[in-house]
Amino acid sequence: MRQTSDTFLENASHALADADKVQRRDLMAVFTPLIRDAAMEGFGQFDALRQHVKQVRQHSLDHLGHYLTQFEEEALHNGNFVHYARDGNELNSRVLDICQQHSARHIAKGKSMVTEETGLNDFLERAGLSVTETDLGEYIIQQAGETPSHIVGPALHKSAAEIRELFLDKHDLGPRELAEITDLVGEARQVLRDKFLKAEVGIIGANALIAESGYSMLVTNEGNGDLCANLPKVLIICTTIDRVLPRAEDATAMLRLLVRSATGQAQTCYTSFYSGPRRELDTDGPLETHFVLLDNHRSDILASDYHEMLQCIRCGACLNHCPIYTGVGGHAFGWVYPGPMGSILTPLLTSLEQSNALPNACTSCGRCAEVCPADIPIPDLLRDLRHEETRRQLSAPRWRLGMKLHGWLARHPRLYHRLTGWAITALHRLGRKRGRFSRLPMAEGWTSQRDFPAPQGKTFMQQFALQQQQEMPSPVRDKPRKTRLRPEAGRTKAPRVKPSPPGAAKTASKAVPADKPARAVAAKAPAKSASPKSRTGKPPARKPRSRGPVKTRTEPHFGEPLEPQSGADERRSTTTGKPQEPDDVN
Amino acid sequence: MSTSARSEILARVRKASRGSSAESLSQQLQGLGVAPAAPLPCAELATAFLANVLKNQGSAAVVSGRSEAVKAVGAYLYKHFRSHRLVAGNDPHLAAMPWRDAGVLPRFGSIEPGEPAALSYAMLGIAETGAIVTFTGKSSPASNNLLSEHHIVLVDQAKLVANMEQAWLGINREIERVGRPRGINFIAGPSSTGDIEGKLVYGAHGPRGWHVILIGEALDSALQEARELAGLA
Repeated sequence: MRQTSDTFLENASHALADADKVQRRDLMAVFTPLIRDAAMEGFGQFDALRQHVKQVRQHSLDHLGHYLTQFEEEALHNGNFVHYARDGNELNSRVLDICQQHSARHIAKGKSMVTEETGLNDFLERAGLSVTETDLGEYIIQQAGETPSHIVGPALHKSAAEIRELFLDKHDLGPRELAEITDLVGEARQVLRDKFLKAEVGIIGANALIAESGYSMLVTNEGNGDLCANLPKVLIICTTIDRVLPRAEDATAMLRLLVRSATGQAQTCYTSFYSGPRRELDTDGPLETHFVLLDNHRSDILASDYHEMLQCIRCGACLNHCPIYTGVGGHAFGWVYPGPMGSILTPLLTSLEQSNALPNACTSCGRCAEVCPADIPIPDLLRDLRHEETRRQLSAPRWRLGMKLHGWLARHPRLYHRLTGWAITALHRLGRKRGRFSRLPMAEGWTSQRDFPAPQGKTFMQQFALQQQQEMPSPVRDKPRKTRLRPEAGRTKAPRVKPSPPGAAKTASKAVPADKPARAVAAKAPAKSASPKSRTGKPPARKPRSRGPVKTRTEPHFGEPLEPQSGADERRSTTTGKPQEPDDVN
Repeated sequence: MSTSARSEILARVRKASRGSSAESLSQQLQGLGVAPAAPLPCAELATAFLANVLKNQGSAAVVSGRSEAVKAVGAYLYKHFRSHRLVAGNDPHLAAMPWRDAGVLPRFGSIEPGEPAALSYAMLGIAETGAIVTFTGKSSPASNNLLSEHHIVLVDQAKLVANMEQAWLGINREIERVGRPRGINFIAGPSSTGDIEGKLVYGAHGPRGWHVILIGEALDSALQEARELAGLA
């Protein structure tokens, strides 16, 4: 699909101008976190499960070479073809080859974000194939010529009335009412049933690949993916190399998190594990099955400091909890993956140049990290991408200059506190009467949308110093320090807690110790506050990878062109995977 | 650099991965322990399973034996279709049922157009999720689960397990006996969608109704309690 991430701000303004859609998103922003929270509360051990699954996935990724090979061996043994694709073009070409080998014209497709990423539908349609998305949400947006706005509910941006109009226009079924949502679902069921029965090739994705047995796991509520996997003669499973888990029980442990985080259910209606083509005595199922395993920069991410992003299970919880996503919707992000996870994945899978606005589309509120079932430090990764933008001079020069000035000021705490103290006092006096400002120089970005509240007289540090003064009876010398935070501006008034060594004032004024986990920094510090990095000019301390000491930053590819490609590779079992004879196919 | 996609990708992945022997990896995995499962709504397996079936928007019945089970199937068919047409997988458990007792004679095989209801025999029932497990194959053709209007499942009380980890133990035992099936299905409710305005609608592509008949001793109170736990009583 065409990427428009570079115009995120314009996209967002456009999205905010549509009051109906804003209202719809506001509702979703209330509703979706509630059902997720209820499901997690019912489970009761969210953190324990999250840590368990995280460790298992980290183990899988740390030894991905082993598990990927094991999966391949087992999948071949089960009678599959296994293909590898370095990028989207290779995946698309391989899938088209398979379809053409079978002279297929009609393709039924289950929901797959990977094939959205590679633009498979357009590719196959350009080659003359008829591709039908069968997930109801995907079907709706395919008919409307749109792209998904959400990775779980791709058509949630559309109203029932819009879908009614769409179906009346696209389905030649005579005059009818379609007054209720159930009528719309019923009509799609009727139309799509024919597509399933007609399709020669089914294409689905996979929520996990199981190394020990070569099965793939597919999680759906509609059952459309299963119809794609069971009815057509040929099945192609398109997924990525990072989906491999060691054991079946690891996949179902992840399932507990996935389903609750995505839809608030304890279990989806259909969770299916597929191993390959039909067995000797089977009466149904595909005669030929293929796995196409896509890399598309996952191996670069694996080797980079952004490797935690590969733990993402595509549940959509970070979208539902993100004030930016719920404000502007998924389309504003301009590519396949929106919201917090998309703001990391898009730069990593495409390029930071094309998407440098996305890592800035973050308030650092930390809600995404709180609910992420994979415990990905999303705000940290976004902040690191912002650092990367500054380092590579991708952000606006004015912005960089401002950050530089702020960084310099933050490294001079006395001056910082004195200046902010003056500014706050001045604003307090000026705004005392009205209590707010409707216009402020250099803050039009704020005041054009809302009033700026007048400061209440003292800076946080001054108030903090006063509070400490009041709380601390003398003699104070023996009392333990309450915190490492010590006000600079109020220092002359505040009693000294204990004698400070030279340079201690500078250290103590630092809001966050450098050795504190970066996640806490991002969750608590406002976006513009002095971060450890701005103080030292070095990347922030990231948690060490479990497999060794902290590496120096290893950059992912950021859109570097790949080596010239030859065809995707293919292997076929010689034991059980003999291609079916044409007689068997018909 | 190799021009083969496979060798290039595997080389990159290996470069970023750590090498260990399969044995030591297995030990490391064991060391991570077992994932916590969802708490059961009640300690009694049958009640917990039924409560979760009901929460999954399935309907449920309990019977004390095979004769009662076929009668329950007949009653369900009559209630929904005013007919006794039924397709069932070629499962020995189903073939051995006393069908005459209910005046129902299923056609054994894969579903044909016009057949509204399909019957499966569950290999397992999972109390944690209210799901039933089947292997694809002639004993349980996938099209029967997916293309019928109503899917009816018989579950023996002895086949109930507490959670998904126990389910895999059972599944792996069966795989040792019969080999890897093409598909392993966990089914937990009628086909549903929330894709239009988040409103939940049943019968998206597959069955609109999902009916579980649990066969075991003294289960009447279990069903009553399950209804209460599911907030239906």
